Amino acid sequence: MAEAGTSRVREAGGAPVTALRHRVRLGSVGAVGLALLAILVAAGALAPWIVPYDPEVTTGDPFEPPSRAHLLGTNDVGQDLLSELIYGVRISLTIGFLAAVVAISIGTVIGMVAGYFGGWVDAALMRLVDVVLVVPFLPLMLLLAAYLGPSFWNIILVIGILVWARPARVIRAQVLSLTSLDFIDAARALGASPGRILRRHVLPGVLSLSLAQFILAASNAILIEASLSFLGLGDPTAKSWGSTLYYAQVRSAFLSGTWKWWVLPPGLLITAAVLGFAFTGFALEETLNPRLRR
Amino acid sequence: MLWRFFAAKGVQYALVLLFAVTLNFALPRMMPGSPLVFLAGEDVGFMTEAQRAQLYSAFGLDRPVWRQYAIYLGNLARGDLGHSFQQGRPVVEIILSRLRWTVLLVGISLLLATLIGIAWGTAAAWRRGRPLDLASLGGAMLLESTPSFWLAMIFIAVFAAGRGWFPVFGAMTPGAGLSGPAWIFDVAWHLVLPLATLTLVTIPGMFLIMRYSLLTVLGEQYISTARSKGVAERRIMFRHAMRNALLPVSTVFMLNLGYIVSGATVIETVFSYPGLGRLLFEAVLARDYPVLQGTFFIVTVSVILANIAADLVYPLIDPRVRHAR
Repeated sequence: MAEAGTSRVREAGGAPVTALRHRVRLGSVGAVGLALLAILVAAGALAPWIVPYDPEVTTGDPFEPPSRAHLLGTNDVGQDLLSELIYGVRISLTIGFLAAVVAISIGTVIGMVAGYFGGWVDAALMRLVDVVLVVPFLPLMLLLAAYLGPSFWNIILVIGILVWARPARVIRAQVLSLTSLDFIDAARALGASPGRILRRHVLPGVLSLSLAQFILAASNAILIEASLSFLGLGDPTAKSWGSTLYYAQVRSAFLSGTWKWWVLPPGLLITAAVLGFAFTGFALEETLNPRLRR
Repeated sequence: MLWRFFAAKGVQYALVLLFAVTLNFALPRMMPGSPLVFLAGEDVGFMTEAQRAQLYSAFGLDRPVWRQYAIYLGNLARGDLGHSFQQGRPVVEIILSRLRWTVLLVGISLLLATLIGIAWGTAAAWRRGRPLDLASLGGAMLLESTPSFWLAMIFIAVFAAGRGWFPVFGAMTPGAGLSGPAWIFDVAWHLVLPLATLTLVTIPGMFLIMRYSLLTVLGEQYISTARSKGVAERRIMFRHAMRNALLPVSTVFMLNLGYIVSGATVIETVFSYPGLGRLLFEAVLARDYPVLQGTFFIVTVSVILANIAADLVYPLIDPRVRHAR
């Protein structure tokens, strides 16, 4: 298992649009992604004004099928499902965003330090990256979440500390190619401290790449949050799309006709959000990552 | 050199193992409150002071941390993962009774997904940039963005509850007392939907790697040489390019294992399939910490073992590793 081969492939796994460059403008992929995100962000921001009902209040009978009054029907306690899903945008996007912030902060710092200092620091940090990549992440996440207890910030923390490894690897590679350039040598010769070189000269060079990685991490985080909530380890005070599906599962919605409005829509929304981030991220990475450009 | 390859891999897996063991050791002891709650269960609150003190020393909690760690490692080496809060049985026993179902599910779907991913990736690379390729890429990304547990729920709703073609839950018909071919058929019948779900969500990863790997190889000079010699395009693809393109796929095959086990966790939960994933879910619901930790440990060990198996095979298929110096 050659090291170079592994990292090349992992990057390939993150950039399946690579060969698209021959024929199709990446712009259109990114545009679709951005459009999906814009719609979701707008729905989340405007939630209090566009929802037909308060999702916390019983406004109909339990298990009502879609009707004029309740466009997507009601759940097991008679709450309006459409309103629940619109408010769910807020939770899913917020957790995805914040978890990605945590992951990228860790990933950028570790990638920069490993790439800049090299030697045993690099070797040690990259072994750490390998460890995180090999450990089966969902069992580990369940373990951590069960111990820490399900809460908004704990979920963000748990996702963040498990998603940083891939960004760290990509950013390290970028730093390696940056530090071979003359202006870093010049700064070093002028007596700049490593901290100053990293902040003033290396960081600006990796920021754009961090942004692309950030968006991919957010897409990952949304999917993980949905899984955690579905397994009953989500934030108990808020209803995300994953927890809507959790209740649908607990009440065996898939055994009756209710699945068509109780199970189908939240899953489609999760897919749309993940895909929106993924498309945007891949298009950005493709444009920004010099290792993928030819 | 071959031994350096194995030495580097050995160090990596030893680190993963150390991480899992140390985390399991540290978590109950780092949490606020008495570690007894996490090691012996909520019943601790109803015990007398003397009982609690006895339990405290039984777990070695009155000794220095490094002694506790040594005791913990000793127990682990003897295969002692503690007792389940819920069932009172040894955790190892519970896990072993569940392990085979997950191995069955994960093993077959990994194999299927790899074969389909290779075939699909080759087809797409063959028609690179054309409609088939682009549609495949879009389809793969869509599939990769779909939550696996949701797909599982939809499958149950449509094919099990709706049409009644497949059973809704479990790994076999309870109390049927089947044996021989009838039993095998029953097990296979229960396996279809979970297997289909897990395979579907695993295919995109394999497809993307195969396609990318093949496109990279097709850009190399020896392919141009073959082409200029007049070798048929079909022969170039299958004899020259695919052989080398498969190497990274075999690597990713193993790297994906952790992800696939994770996917199996949620899928088993939806189908009430009695594997390790469902066990994890039940342990989370009951806050059965020893089972949770034991399962995490066993799953990690299994992933490492599978990786080692792949590493042992790798030099056989890649002569560069065999002869590198």
